[in-house]
Amino acid sequence: MSSQSETAVRPSVERRGKPNLNPFTSNLFIGSLLPIVLIIIWEVASRNGWVAPYLLPAPSVVLEEIVGMAQEGELWGHISITLYRVFAGFLLGMIAAAILGAATGYSRIVEKILDPMLQALRAIPSLAWVPLFVLWIGIGEASKITLVAVGVFFPIYLNLTSGIQGVDRKLIEVGRMYHFTSLQQIRKIIFPAALPSFLVGVRSGLSLGWMFVVAAELLGASQGLGYLMVFGQNTSSPELVIGSIVLFAIFGKITDEILKRIQTRTLRWQDSIENSV
Amino acid sequence: MLAVNQVTRVFQNGKAGFKNVSIRLTKGEVVGVLGTSGCGKSTLLRVLSGLDAHYQGQIDTTVSDSEHDFGMMFQEPRLMPWLSVWENITFGVAKKQNRDLAIDLLQTVGLEGFENHYPKDLSGGMAQRVAIARSLLNRPEILLLDEPLSALDAFTKMQLQDLLLSIFEKHQTTTLLVTHDIDEALYLCDRVVIMRGQPGRIQTEIAIDKPKPRSRGDAYLAHLKEEILRELDFTRV
Repeated sequence: MSSQSETAVRPSVERRGKPNLNPFTSNLFIGSLLPIVLIIIWEVASRNGWVAPYLLPAPSVVLEEIVGMAQEGELWGHISITLYRVFAGFLLGMIAAAILGAATGYSRIVEKILDPMLQALRAIPSLAWVPLFVLWIGIGEASKITLVAVGVFFPIYLNLTSGIQGVDRKLIEVGRMYHFTSLQQIRKIIFPAALPSFLVGVRSGLSLGWMFVVAAELLGASQGLGYLMVFGQNTSSPELVIGSIVLFAIFGKITDEILKRIQTRTLRWQDSIENSV
Repeated sequence: MLAVNQVTRVFQNGKAGFKNVSIRLTKGEVVGVLGTSGCGKSTLLRVLSGLDAHYQGQIDTTVSDSEHDFGMMFQEPRLMPWLSVWENITFGVAKKQNRDLAIDLLQTVGLEGFENHYPKDLSGGMAQRVAIARSLLNRPEILLLDEPLSALDAFTKMQLQDLLLSIFEKHQTTTLLVTHDIDEALYLCDRVVIMRGQPGRIQTEIAIDKPKPRSRGDAYLAHLKEEILRELDFTRV
């Protein structure tokens, strides 16, 4: 029996392209071209007084403000409390979504009982929860974390449920040929097959988590990046507001990048465009 | 080994499925089921494998271990896309004790060196080889093959027919092979059951008294093929 006549479609498992050595055509360079140009224009415009500095301070002023606060040490407290709220809420929302999403995806009865109610709750604009949460659990950390968790919950729940319901019946039949128990079916077939959509849900859940943490901090906090924005607004210091926005962008990007790396690493097996390079 | 007694499974108000099918398999025998499409061949395998429990009639097996009674290979490879070739072969079987057999099977199907590839990187024939190895690792006492090679090109098909033949020889597995390829049935089977009609019934059984391996162009087989074609009689549909 020879396998000579059949060759692998791709010669090796390792198929990450060579790093682009030319610095002027690398993706990083091309991608940062436009932002750099815009920042230069902005800087020039502010310096020459084309725009009022009390409305739009120059990027260098914004940077100075951030660096100054970092040196004073004041910034770290705001950043860490915001990160804490996002992560605690994210974790809470993800765990709840994983449990309920798995249950509704796997069991028809649970779906019939739970799904209509959750879909109805989803229709409520998330900020409408704020007064209720503040009433119920006070103005402290718990209400903010709960709000973030609510935001994180729905995308993960929806994606996981549809991911499980979309698992190929043909693969499940393979498990039945091995006399798998329900638990084995879930662990060996359903969970890995639903993992891609779960991770999609986790990523959109995280971005919603960031959105909700801003909302929570805008509406009542004495610390955090969102609070800094309100503070900047009240003290007419736009550099503080823009600085906070920049920090939100940086942390949002970093956390999403981490999840994206996890996603590509765990989904290397997928026959997708991204993996075909 | 396997005794199917007057088993019936019909759906769509008796328009599809099969009726009153009785087949006996002795140990180590390879029996082919031939029939036109829609005569319930695949349904028969689904009933036997336990994937379809809504049947009437009696199915008896004399297997020593009900955990390893049936192994099934489908028309598509049905590999788990998130597992490597090696993990797919050892899928569903406790790993440690079957390592040696798994290595042996990997060699038999000619896939050494591809252990760490994912299914998306395999050609159709290679994926089907993985599926063959996977279905054998569980050491099923009865192997059910549901048109396992019908989606492959002619050359890969012949290669894998030879592979199946050597596996039948080596492992002495009792096999029920559903196919719509008359040449394949004549090449691989000891006996051929012909089904026809909707719902399908057994038309005849033809024994193939010719030692294996057989020549694909054998005159005796050509004669049998003619007989089978007459039995299937496409003009009477």
